[in-house]
Amino acid sequence: MSALSANTDGLRRRRAVNRLMEAIATAAAFAAVVVLGIMVVSVARRGGAAIDLNLFTKTPHPFSFTNQPSGLANAFVGTAVIVGIATAMAVPVGVLSAIYLNEFARARVAFLIALALDVLNGVPAIVVGIFVFALIVVHHGQSALAGSFALSILMIPLIARATQEVLALVPQATREGSLALGVSRWRTTLGVVLPQTIGAIVTGTTLAVARVAGETAPLLFTSSIVGDRLQWNPHLALASVPLKIFEYSESPDPADHARAWAAALVLISFVLVASITARALAARSRRRMGLHR
Amino acid sequence: MRTRGVISTVGLALVVTAATAAASLAGTARQSATNLRGAGSSFVAPLVAQWQSNYKGASVDYNPIGSGGGIAAITARTVDFGASDAPLSKDEFAACKGCVQIPWALSATSIPYNLDLGRRLKLSGKVLAGIYLGQIKTWNDKRIQALNKGLKLPSTKITPVYRSDNSGTSYNFTDYLSSVNATWKSKIGVGTNAKWPAGIGAPKSNGVAAAVSQTKGAIGYVDVAYAIKNHLPFAAVQNAAGQYILPGNVGIKAAAATVSKVPSSNAISIVNPPSSQRSAYPICTFTYVILPLKTSKAADLRKFVFWALTNGQQYGPRLRFVPIPNKVLGASEKTLKRVHS
Amino acid sequence: MATTSPSLARAAELRRRGRFHPGDAALHGVTLVAALGAVALLALIAWKVVDQARPAMHRFGLHFLVSNTWDPGVHQVFGAAAFIFGTAVTSLGALLIAGPLSIAIALFLTELAPRWLRGPIGTLVEMLAAVPSVVVGLWGILVMGPFVANHLEPWLKHTFGFLPLFGGDPSIFGLLPAILVLTIMITPIVSSVSRELFLGVPQDLKEGALALGTTRWEMIRGVVLPYARSGIAAALILGLGRAVGEAIAVTQVIGGNVAIHWSLFRPGDTLASRIASQYQGATTKLQVGSIAYLATILLVFSLVANVVAQAIVRKVARRQPLIR
Repeated sequence: MSALSANTDGLRRRRAVNRLMEAIATAAAFAAVVVLGIMVVSVARRGGAAIDLNLFTKTPHPFSFTNQPSGLANAFVGTAVIVGIATAMAVPVGVLSAIYLNEFARARVAFLIALALDVLNGVPAIVVGIFVFALIVVHHGQSALAGSFALSILMIPLIARATQEVLALVPQATREGSLALGVSRWRTTLGVVLPQTIGAIVTGTTLAVARVAGETAPLLFTSSIVGDRLQWNPHLALASVPLKIFEYSESPDPADHARAWAAALVLISFVLVASITARALAARSRRRMGLHR
Repeated sequence: MRTRGVISTVGLALVVTAATAAASLAGTARQSATNLRGAGSSFVAPLVAQWQSNYKGASVDYNPIGSGGGIAAITARTVDFGASDAPLSKDEFAACKGCVQIPWALSATSIPYNLDLGRRLKLSGKVLAGIYLGQIKTWNDKRIQALNKGLKLPSTKITPVYRSDNSGTSYNFTDYLSSVNATWKSKIGVGTNAKWPAGIGAPKSNGVAAAVSQTKGAIGYVDVAYAIKNHLPFAAVQNAAGQYILPGNVGIKAAAATVSKVPSSNAISIVNPPSSQRSAYPICTFTYVILPLKTSKAADLRKFVFWALTNGQQYGPRLRFVPIPNKVLGASEKTLKRVHS
Repeated sequence: MATTSPSLARAAELRRRGRFHPGDAALHGVTLVAALGAVALLALIAWKVVDQARPAMHRFGLHFLVSNTWDPGVHQVFGAAAFIFGTAVTSLGALLIAGPLSIAIALFLTELAPRWLRGPIGTLVEMLAAVPSVVVGLWGILVMGPFVANHLEPWLKHTFGFLPLFGGDPSIFGLLPAILVLTIMITPIVSSVSRELFLGVPQDLKEGALALGTTRWEMIRGVVLPYARSGIAAALILGLGRAVGEAIAVTQVIGGNVAIHWSLFRPGDTLASRIASQYQGATTKLQVGSIAYLATILLVFSLVANVVAQAIVRKVARRQPLIR
């Protein structure tokens, strides 16, 4: 009898500890959700109050005495140009690197290249900014192109990894079948293997775009000396949304804060929609390829 | 066949890229006509903003990254003109390889503070130095109380705010502190940045104004236009004649009236004017545009800077920028003529 | 994974038979250039940053790392000690909070949550990673800062004020807001890596433990955590690397002060934050070099952290078959 009661006491204690731990874990998860919720609600509430058509159609007018309506049109255009060019730079390099990694490289070389790409992914964005500043800006001045180059450095590892992961999933039989039919190597790779991966490449690119659209540090040294005019010439430094948010966040003017919240709302909406879309596409294509989580 | 699909996608992408490139190159041709890019002092940014909207001879872009940034940018020729409240040092002149500095505006550094007092605070140079040296720590210190008889000062801690970036306003302020306090002069000295013994740093004039308005008991130094724009109360500072003066147009004009001869480098210091100027505000400064002597945009730059020196001055007084005195205007114009292509 | 020998042998055979296409060589060449380019980029970044730092390295040498001074004025003496201290305090502090928090979240998502809840909550936590750092910083200055200064720090001072950590006066800028902001930023990374690890623990090991009568927590403590131990270490190192490299959100809330003191309420600065606030305005070669020297320290640290984490991740992946 005593053994049984001792067992029950021990069991009760263990169950209590279990319940406590489960409660802590649940609380942690909800804490994360709550913090995210508070942040998003702050941005939504304050940004929503300040958002209007002017934000997209007018340019900034600091120190204006006539209270002209102002907005961030130049920043939205600038970000579109900079991110667009960065994508055009990063996709070829990322995809081609992944093709080499998966189709041509021997095991040891592949290991080293993959490691290098993963390490490149971890280089702080601000160091990338200094690098591009020292490489390009010191000699040619600031420009959207320099900013795009900096952002593309951040995108390449993400795109390469996404492409490489799906290339590895294409069955070897597909390749061998094509080669056995006499199709040359390059046509096999480009015409048979690659088309199956287009979906994943689009997904990886979308995620990379979502990541760099909000990056501030690389643009701080490469595309920050900008005017208030609407410009899209990539040889000049162009305004960008994250830099404008940064600038307005350090201002004491509540009107600047309102504009910062509104721009943050647009930015966060874009990034979240892009991320969710990319992940939904990825899940769908994974299902189509017959793999389940 | 699959290959055709991939090739056509790639081809389409190339066409789109080529079209974008063509469009942007066309944009280049159209827009580089008369575009002047400048960067530097956030002190003069409010006035430059007025010039940007009122000058019709070119499109002027300006980014207020701080005087240090402006000097660095024009030295690297990443901009067409730089702006700084701090005159270039000998090393900076050498690094800039053939630059000139031209005083083109004149204003003052105000001392904003975050206290509910009911009446304006009075400060002296010695007290300011003591605060920024960390020797005077609370507002009800008897040294501050002595200047403000009849005003009950709280026991709140003083948080001095300084510019964390390389700033011409810092140069002006440390110039003033060095001239009124020997300890400051020997220990810290004058500069666009310094080894600030006490307080917190904030970047750019905006940052200082923000830090002061958000921290109870804070005190800072910032271009008077920023203090006014952000409704910060600023102190009346005692000048050499013993008078407590505000950084208004009268005080600035009186300080600038002390300039008798402009040195060949155009570097003028008007802090702590002598007691003969009874209504002078003691922390005023000229601010300079820095131009390369040889530049392809010489004609456009000369036109713009000349306009700024003459017509442009009318937009100043509302922002507490006083038109530059004739002696300085003459020197500025003479230097401007040297800029050629 | 590289192609296996059958395909290579096949291609070699085709070549011998004269069916060799120059297109193969072209593709091989172009992709090789791309891959080497990406790798070369890494080396180029390291070289260029160190190259920029040379004037400061010559002048200050290794003493730079322990010298607590930043005088860009007349004397031009620079040292990184205050920023190394700030980086260490903020990153380790963030890891101290985010580590257990993220592991708890990962455990919740893999073991405890009902199946219908796992997807949504998991997505929400990942969305936290998608919030740009400048927006976190904006929220940090305007919403979290006043809360910290008016509520959190006074409470901490009231309750734990005897600790030097919580001495000092509450302010909206300081090391504590920086720690909180960094915690928000690294939690998603650590928790998503941990989540992958926990999903990889073999089901039969877990079920075996439960069949022996352990409670869920005992199973987690006895089976899941030990199994995933090295992976968790990698996740924590990745999180640390991210925290150390964060410049924007930190510079917005930390106050930019060059000082070493124990109070978390006082402002300070980190390596990344100082680079962000000073780089553009640096005029002398020595100041630019000193800032590049800071970047070098940052780069060395994040490279080491990254390589170590990647090595651990690869070792773990080899041990576990890929379950996708």
